[in-house]
Amino acid sequence: MIRLFTSLFLLVVFAEASSCSSSPASRELPLRVRWIRDPETLDPLTQPNENARQGVNLLYQSLLTVDYEQQRFVPLLAESMPSVRHQGARTLITYRLRDSARWDDGQPVLARDVEFTLKVMNCPDLPNEEVRAQFGFITALQPDPLDSRRFTLVCEGAAPELVLASGDFPILPAHYLDPQNKLGAVPLAALQQDSLALRHYPDVAPFVQRYKAAQIGQHPDALPGSGPYRLASWKTGQQLEFRRKPRWWGQALQQTAPQLQARPEQIEFHVIPDDATALLAMRRADVDLYPRMPAREFGRLQADSARHPELSFYTAPSYDMTVAGFNTRSSLLAHRLTRQAISHLFDVPQLIQATQQGHAYRSVGLINPENKAFYNDSLRPFAFDPTEASRLLVRAGWQRTATGWERQRPGQSPQRLALRLSYRAGEPTYEAIGLQLRAAAAQLGIPITLHPTESSVLSGRLRAGEYDLYLRSMTGNPFVYNFAPILHTESIGSGNFTRFGTPDSDRLIKSITTEQNPQRKARLLRRLQALLQAECPLTVLYFNRYQIVAASRLANLQISGLPPGYNVMAITSRPDDSH
Amino acid sequence: MGIYLWRRVVVLVPTAWLVLSLIFLLSRGLGAAPPLPSLEADAIGLTDPTSQRRATEQRMRHRYGLDAPLFYITLERSYLNPNAARRWQWHGTANQYHSWVKQLSRGDFGFSYRDSKPVTSVLLDSLRHTLPLTVGAAVLATTLALALGVFTRPRWQAALRSILSLLDILPLFVVALLLLLLLANPDVLAWFPAYGEGRIATEAVWWQQLGTYLYYLALPLACLVLVTTPGLALQLDAALQHELGQAYATTARAKGLSTSRVQQKHALRNAWLPFLTVLAELLPALVAGTVVVETVFARPGMGRALAEAAAARDFPVLLAGVLLLATIRLAAYILTDWLYQLADPRLRPAS
Repeated sequence: MIRLFTSLFLLVVFAEASSCSSSPASRELPLRVRWIRDPETLDPLTQPNENARQGVNLLYQSLLTVDYEQQRFVPLLAESMPSVRHQGARTLITYRLRDSARWDDGQPVLARDVEFTLKVMNCPDLPNEEVRAQFGFITALQPDPLDSRRFTLVCEGAAPELVLASGDFPILPAHYLDPQNKLGAVPLAALQQDSLALRHYPDVAPFVQRYKAAQIGQHPDALPGSGPYRLASWKTGQQLEFRRKPRWWGQALQQTAPQLQARPEQIEFHVIPDDATALLAMRRADVDLYPRMPAREFGRLQADSARHPELSFYTAPSYDMTVAGFNTRSSLLAHRLTRQAISHLFDVPQLIQATQQGHAYRSVGLINPENKAFYNDSLRPFAFDPTEASRLLVRAGWQRTATGWERQRPGQSPQRLALRLSYRAGEPTYEAIGLQLRAAAAQLGIPITLHPTESSVLSGRLRAGEYDLYLRSMTGNPFVYNFAPILHTESIGSGNFTRFGTPDSDRLIKSITTEQNPQRKARLLRRLQALLQAECPLTVLYFNRYQIVAASRLANLQISGLPPGYNVMAITSRPDDSH
Repeated sequence: MGIYLWRRVVVLVPTAWLVLSLIFLLSRGLGAAPPLPSLEADAIGLTDPTSQRRATEQRMRHRYGLDAPLFYITLERSYLNPNAARRWQWHGTANQYHSWVKQLSRGDFGFSYRDSKPVTSVLLDSLRHTLPLTVGAAVLATTLALALGVFTRPRWQAALRSILSLLDILPLFVVALLLLLLLANPDVLAWFPAYGEGRIATEAVWWQQLGTYLYYLALPLACLVLVTTPGLALQLDAALQHELGQAYATTARAKGLSTSRVQQKHALRNAWLPFLTVLAELLPALVAGTVVVETVFARPGMGRALAEAAAARDFPVLLAGVLLLATIRLAAYILTDWLYQLADPRLRPAS
């Protein structure tokens, strides 16, 4: 048996050595990036997660894109930023596509492709529900009869954010997916009403069937794209490999338009779900880039950086925040002073140290402190202050008794202050925050029970208002300031989990979304932050930083606080490291 | 024998179907919507108004057929008078359960909510990765357990038992991480790859391909073997020790047979019975995969597929997976019964 095992082992080692030596020498090392999960699909209509979005952006292009370094939108397929006109309650946004923009098969990218994409995004029975809702404000496309590359998007509403949003969806090739132009005869408005489209336009249903049968999400290589890369291989749950196209239309423009750069010749995304394995892979140089490394591992590795000259360490202030929310309709937390009192029981500096190794940073509210123009720096975040919490509870009508805090209610038995804190189960950060809050509240005589809950059940409970306090993460961005989905009274029962809303706050939120003037917008946003701190429907505990570890041979990562935290297409190898 | 087995099938199949139906009704009855990132509302700055969010959810439920009543009969509130008490309402065949059963009867498990792939292809693809690992581990573990249980010299048995007992209490994830940190770590020994299945060059010959495959399989396989073997070996050892204490073994020894001869010729056949039960338990595990090993070593497989489907509320994949596992478990029960009767004629039903 020992002989058998020895032979087998030798076979394996020899075969491994032979297969390694037999692999052809590549001109340039591939860029290998760790992904925590599989993108699941690369269908431009679906994009269910951040990895899918990253993959789709390598294959297809939108009218505008984000300049990671400057954190602003810049033209991509569009030749310049669009011109904007307002017509009553509508906004007319005019784009012109770049003359040189081409699909893989050499066909030009035209206004017809944009119109076709908008129609596909609204076709009934396709997995497009999310993009449909997100871009539902675009109600028509008016092509320029004299210029096949110029068109005007008719958008409902006047919010300045619509301009940026109107150019932020990947464009699909109409000539390939609909060669007979069957969708051309169907107005966009008809498609936006499911039943109307299917009843009056018999060509829609066969198109939907054809689109589904093409399985673009799994086989994007079958579809010509305008992006600089093509999908070379995809081993589900393991690895995706993208190769730069030998002839890509954007190459000629890279000097004048840096957003069109596509530096790595080959990009591999390695799916490694476990953080410990990913860390080992990074240390073994099996991967070159480990984005969003957990703070603890990042801290340990960085502390030992003298032993790892082959690694470079980066951080960037992100727009991801950890938030504690209050059920403002719960009788226990209906008074804003009670909510403020509880907010004083979070020892945020200690929590930042314990959960983020000191890498996170505080904020007074939902606006990132890095955004100097809109951040209200006259406010101070809630300090950890149990004495102040007691004082606020007394002002809110609570009385300290031998058993805790109670409040008299006319005609009813006294109400006791005891709270339930809900959060997603299996999340050590929330667990740590919950334990700290529970300990601080217990010292003050407020019992808090922790309710780690399965994700979908938690979502349901938050929507239904079946909780007292919750902990969750939220993601902001520096472009859009629309707080209606999370704070407007109309959103109670959907995204407004705190069930907060007053006529004042509703008006303010609406004014912010429609305000065109940056100075006035800044004033409104500062007012909103002050109002939210006073009413305290939610408390932002801290904003996270992205921690990124990369091989030292990599340069120009364009690290930023916007997901995924780096610009994969901009990354280069240092000259002495390329083969 | 045939009638006996047929009876077992007749009893077990409806039981499995009942369990599966309950899982179907409970999972869908919880009202959990399929995954849709924007519905979780964790991103600020979405341009879709609230009214559209509700329409979005409704459209999604319609596409997945989740807007139909759950079962033939449900407890409903009257549309005309929402304040009235809820009443039982008959929906006929236009319900989710009926559609699901109809689909299953055609051998159609539907499509994954996450990537729109046919569920059958998702499961077959996962099995393709899982089976070589789990079957390999089961064969190696059983062989090792037999070798350790039967052929170990008596003076080594006590020490071996202690080592096996120690290994037996180690959880799978600890063993996986230990192997990884000891044998795939540049600070200790980097003999093996840390993750994945490796890239097999297309121009490589078959033995190079096999070599690469085995090289990447080595640590996950070792991990499963290390975790499975102790249980099997200790079970076999306990059964053998019990049998060796019986009168027939003493008689055989009194007739001059050596202990190892008694063990191999007489005691082993009787010790098989409890060992068979443990072996049969391995069968569903072969198909279910092992989520810990697949996650730690970043290998695709059945365990990871089912765990991810559960986390993402991908009901079609989850239900088909449960159906497959239930079927395998039933088959394992029936196989055990059959093997029991083969090993011990006294257990056969009277003709």
